[in-house]
Amino acid sequence: MLLISDPGAFLASIAMPLVLGAFLLPVTRDQLVLAGRTDAGGEQVVPGMAVLFGFIGVQFVGMLFYREHAWGTWDRLRASPASTLEIVAGKAAPLYLSQVLQVTVVLLAGVLLFDYRPNGSPFAIAALVVVFVAMLVAFGVMLVALCASMDVALMLGSLGGMVMAGLGGALAPVSSLPGWTRPVARATPAYWAIDGLRAASLDAARLFDIAGDLGMLLGFTVLFSLVAALRLRMDDVKIGTT
Amino acid sequence: MLRIEGVVKGYRDGPVLRGVDLTVGPGEIVGMVGANGAGKTTLIGIAAGLRRADSGSVCIAGIDVAAHRRRAARHVGLAPQELGIYPTLTVAQNLECFARLAGLRSAQVRRRVAEVAEQLGLSDRLASRAGELSGGQKRRLHTGTAVLHRPDLVFLDEPTVGADVVSRREILDLVRRMAAEGTAVLYTTHHLTELEQLDATIAVLHSGRIVHTGPVADVISRWATTAVTLRFAHAAPALPGWRQEGKTLVPRAPVGEPGAAVGRALAVLGARCAELTGVEISRPGLETAYLAITGHTLTEGDDSAHAA
Repeated sequence: MLLISDPGAFLASIAMPLVLGAFLLPVTRDQLVLAGRTDAGGEQVVPGMAVLFGFIGVQFVGMLFYREHAWGTWDRLRASPASTLEIVAGKAAPLYLSQVLQVTVVLLAGVLLFDYRPNGSPFAIAALVVVFVAMLVAFGVMLVALCASMDVALMLGSLGGMVMAGLGGALAPVSSLPGWTRPVARATPAYWAIDGLRAASLDAARLFDIAGDLGMLLGFTVLFSLVAALRLRMDDVKIGTT
Repeated sequence: MLRIEGVVKGYRDGPVLRGVDLTVGPGEIVGMVGANGAGKTTLIGIAAGLRRADSGSVCIAGIDVAAHRRRAARHVGLAPQELGIYPTLTVAQNLECFARLAGLRSAQVRRRVAEVAEQLGLSDRLASRAGELSGGQKRRLHTGTAVLHRPDLVFLDEPTVGADVVSRREILDLVRRMAAEGTAVLYTTHHLTELEQLDATIAVLHSGRIVHTGPVADVISRWATTAVTLRFAHAAPALPGWRQEGKTLVPRAPVGEPGAAVGRALAVLGARCAELTGVEISRPGLETAYLAITGHTLTEGDDSAHAA
């Protein structure tokens, strides 16, 4: 209900990647052609924008949690019969669905607008989206657990997300980045999301072929979830804005 | 319904609650009064399971809150002092949200939302966003969300703060109705006349303990005295037997003959009487009873109590 009642930021998170993608399409297509993909279209820019703005969409996680503190409703949730898990899951579940929708719409819009023609299994792409978004939500909840204020959480989420997405190949192929970035990139979940999407977009990958990418994304999801579970204190005072 | 025994709670800058004992029975309205910082909100937070006491126990419907918070929470409705509603949702959506959170099913939700909106005069604002309501309407909505599931026990922490006359009346009517139906109510306020209107049992929280409990009528008849206040344009001058409180003077001890006491004070003040802006003689009431019990005035907005 809260996301639907205030949909502006969500709609912007769908529009912005498409706008940026339009500007980046020519140069990213040239990068793919230089790499030998002579019939390339949006197979670099569309997955890249989906991953980049997926990370930027982590802000919705922050908004839904921190706003409860700003609105005075957090203690009301805590005083209810709902358990901690129910409260967190109640916030995370609609966020998860909305993020899946966001990433999916960006990919589908890429097909319509940017000549994005993945040659891999649609099930592989769907599995990547499902697991990638689970990682994003876990990342967002972890930031909520670690950060006392919404401003810090949003800054870390957006900036950290952009850095990870950039290192992972969302803006330019990893092969075009300086050599020292490649081992660092592998330590980010964005790398594995882009790697899987790239394989499913350009290398006709099936579900089995991207099992490693899915496994790494699941690993990051578990890691972020564990940190959140260990650190989240329901009685912590959080500073949000309305 | 509510039994608080020996609750102690301290923070970094010192103890707030030093062994509080309090009970609220079914159908009883207990009005807890105390100066700002006395610990009223802390005590309600502990009773509602939002924070843990350092020692002592709280039982709701026989359930230990510290050990079984969620079970106890099923019996409780809480309207904290800080307003807590979703401004981007409509009034109806707010009520539905809290009704479901309390465990009501869909058919019950619809019926109770309509009932509570009617009782609080919000039926014509159900489709309005909560953020667009007036301050008093928001207070009514905030209170209404606490009672949708007909809890056995309701905590109302200063429910009429910022409320207009109509909103205050609606909220008090709701409290009376709930108590008549058997709900136990723990109510905090700085507006002592509300407790008289509710015919509440008064519980005075002072220096970390409940120092007096009793029906309003008994408290007034036993403790209340005529109050005398001298108001000055600037800082009140020193006067033997009178306590300076900023720009006012109040007697250090209860006065039997207020007129004579004023006369003697004016004679001593002499030329400084020109600085007087007002002389008040008030009938016995909860304000003077509170002063007699605690030795302090109950001044809303002050961060410290003024000692006798």
